[in-house]
Amino acid sequence: MGMSWFWATIGCIFNAALVLVLAPLFEGILRKVTARVQSRKGPPLLQPYYDLFKLLGKEDIESGETPWAQRFAAWLSMGVVLAAVCFVPMGFRAPLGGAGDALVLIYLLMLGGLCTLMAGLAAGSTYSLLGMSREMMLMITLEPLFAVAMIVGAVHANSLRLDAVLGGAVYEGRFGVSGLLMLAVSMASFQALVQRVPFDIPEAETEIMEGPLSEYSGPKLALFKWARMAKLVVYAALFVALFVPWGSGLPFPVGLGLFWCKVLVLVLLVTLVAATHARYRVDQAVRYFGGMLVIAVVALILATYGY
Amino acid sequence: MAAREKLGFLRQRFGAAIVRADLTSDRRLYVFVEPRSVKEVCRALFRELDARYVITIGADDRPWSGCFMVAHNFAFDRDQLLVSVMCLLPADSPRIETISDVVPAANWAEREMRDLVGIEAVGHPYPKRLVLPDGWPDGLHPLRKDVEWNEAPDFEDDGAGYDFDDPPEGCTVVPFGPFHPTLDEPAHFRLYVEGEIVRGCEYRGFMVHRGIEKLAESVLGYNDIPIMAERICGICGCVHNVAYAQSVEEAVALRPPPRAEYIRTIMLELERLHSHLLWVGLACHIVGFDTLFMQAFRVREPVMWIAEKISGNRKTYGLCVIGGVRWDITPELGDELETVLDKLESEWHSVARAVKNDKNIQRRTCGVGVADGAVVKEMGLIGPVARAAGVDIDCRRDHPYAAYDRVGFRVITAQSADVWGRLVVRTDEVFESISIIRQCLAKLEPGPIQTPIKEDLPAGRFGLSSVEAPRGESHHFVITGENNRPRRWRVRAPTYQNLQGVPAMIRDAQLADMTIALGSIDPCFSCTDRIESVDVRSGAVKVWTPRELRDMAKRAQSGRDVKDS
Repeated sequence: MGMSWFWATIGCIFNAALVLVLAPLFEGILRKVTARVQSRKGPPLLQPYYDLFKLLGKEDIESGETPWAQRFAAWLSMGVVLAAVCFVPMGFRAPLGGAGDALVLIYLLMLGGLCTLMAGLAAGSTYSLLGMSREMMLMITLEPLFAVAMIVGAVHANSLRLDAVLGGAVYEGRFGVSGLLMLAVSMASFQALVQRVPFDIPEAETEIMEGPLSEYSGPKLALFKWARMAKLVVYAALFVALFVPWGSGLPFPVGLGLFWCKVLVLVLLVTLVAATHARYRVDQAVRYFGGMLVIAVVALILATYGY
Repeated sequence: MAAREKLGFLRQRFGAAIVRADLTSDRRLYVFVEPRSVKEVCRALFRELDARYVITIGADDRPWSGCFMVAHNFAFDRDQLLVSVMCLLPADSPRIETISDVVPAANWAEREMRDLVGIEAVGHPYPKRLVLPDGWPDGLHPLRKDVEWNEAPDFEDDGAGYDFDDPPEGCTVVPFGPFHPTLDEPAHFRLYVEGEIVRGCEYRGFMVHRGIEKLAESVLGYNDIPIMAERICGICGCVHNVAYAQSVEEAVALRPPPRAEYIRTIMLELERLHSHLLWVGLACHIVGFDTLFMQAFRVREPVMWIAEKISGNRKTYGLCVIGGVRWDITPELGDELETVLDKLESEWHSVARAVKNDKNIQRRTCGVGVADGAVVKEMGLIGPVARAAGVDIDCRRDHPYAAYDRVGFRVITAQSADVWGRLVVRTDEVFESISIIRQCLAKLEPGPIQTPIKEDLPAGRFGLSSVEAPRGESHHFVITGENNRPRRWRVRAPTYQNLQGVPAMIRDAQLADMTIALGSIDPCFSCTDRIESVDVRSGAVKVWTPRELRDMAKRAQSGRDVKDS
């Protein structure tokens, strides 16, 4: 027993470190590819690391209405991602797991959105409040989508354990209608889950000047940015584990390599979509996700009847 | 003919109230009217004859006629006619009945006339200061002839801020500007917002008014002013440069040689190209589509290079002198320009296709920022904003100047009256501009590029010129004067009218649409701000208060050396 706790702790630390180290690299690839699409040279591949180091080294300025809440929101956003990481397989078995951990993960992901709300409230400026209200509108329609995808898997697997839900359970081994529907819905909403164009509505630099983040600077901003980069990796890993698990079971170096290749492909996909789309307006986005939600609920009903 | 017709109509209707009329050509009519009939004459022109309102000008004419002068300018775009309704007001009581209740588009111009010249528009519906800061002393009107050009009054407005209106009930105020990522220059909109819906707004601008008109009327000479006029705007400077030169040339009946006219046309169209390319890019950036923003700028860059090769500058071409242009386009440069145009045309086809076929851009622009034909008429909106609402006006065709009467081109219009329409109009105008430049290059005949001027230019003549800037009509009004400079020079940039249409465009719209709606008029705030800026040393830690800046300006003007400032 004592030994398994020890290994779980080591695993968590390893997973967190892995994501923290790799996330800026993926961001760098994303920026480089975006630049290529836009006929630019783009920044060096390692630029996101430099950016983070620079921000972390800057003076930590207290600003906004309630500085402690602002600080808390930044730490929480990072903490949530790092906690989620412990439940997600990164090409190997997740370090933590147990009965009902699928629910824990759903809650953790939702908590990520709440951080943005708290950041907006803490800053208290007009634009950050606007960003907050937009985030809230998006959350209400967006967050259930991924949850439904997990629950469809859970229904098929007859278990709320993540290791049962992941690994292709959504398809129930025979590509059921509900699984495919959820694959489509998750693909269509993935861009929003990782807060990229065309769904970067709560930040929308040219409209509300980064919204909730407008009052952030220095280390706190670095935390938010880092968490956002990590979020892309975590969601991509989750997506791969949930919907395209094939090959992950192969022997050690091949399975792991294949897994990260799939994550990279997903990141590239996100990049291309972001580079070729104009931002949605919040009402348009909400309507869009509303439609998705209807499909998701239909999928859930189908799943409960075994389709 | 049209000019005589309109004059006949006015004579018949108003009889003795028409004091005098100057028909300098078929295309210009200056009518002097009794002050008490001015409003009715304007009503008749604007409502019955369906003229387009252009601008109102106030002038201090006391040193010459002993009076103040007011001119309301109108355009008959179908008849190639510009009409100026003028009147003289006694020096001791510079007051005239407002026309803003009849012609809403005159709202700003009449307020500016009160601020700068001190001519009161009696009964104005919104008599708030427009140009002068709120703390500026009453009774000091900078454009009066007894005010020195370097007069800097001592006034206390630090921290007093602006005197804002109260927002309507249930609305919160969202400050938009003076600094915002999508505003390239300072301007302040106080948006009254209910949730995400904009219910109204108040505009405060003119924060960097530089006093260019005052300088021209008191310090510069006729041929210095084009260089200054060009600096009114960082994007459409050449337009002001040409419009000024043309208005003086018209006032003194001087015609530049044909080659100069072709060169002016080429440079104006080159400017339109880079301006439209820039705008399409910015519009994409505003709606979050940065790839097209980058591509538009890449396609635009060769236009800047060729402009630099021709004129020596990417912008500020230093093109005009009175009676011609300052430099020639050699055959080699002409060939190179052709090459640039060929490449641009093919590349722009692909950008235009990408923009027009993009569903997301359509979703963000269709039905957004609507200004229909009625708003265009009431607020005097011009350029792509008017053309996108199906109002077929374009000064290049309607009031031809330079060589535009010798080239063929289509005036692009759309019917949707929204941001999408403006996007389509500007995108397609690029191809027309390319075609115009090609025609000019083909027709460019050898010959002189300046008409020599032997004597002093006669004083007291009026000149008008409307030039189609990328954003709409730029209108210049000049009264020639003594000492080699005009008595009065009034610039009406297109944004001056189009900004007045913005409140109507954003009313009951989504807050998210505000930036693209405002962006869709291609606003150019420096064009409206034509008077005081002080450069603060970059990198200096010290924060200057307005008072310190003013004191520094005073030390500078009293002749003492102010280091680095």
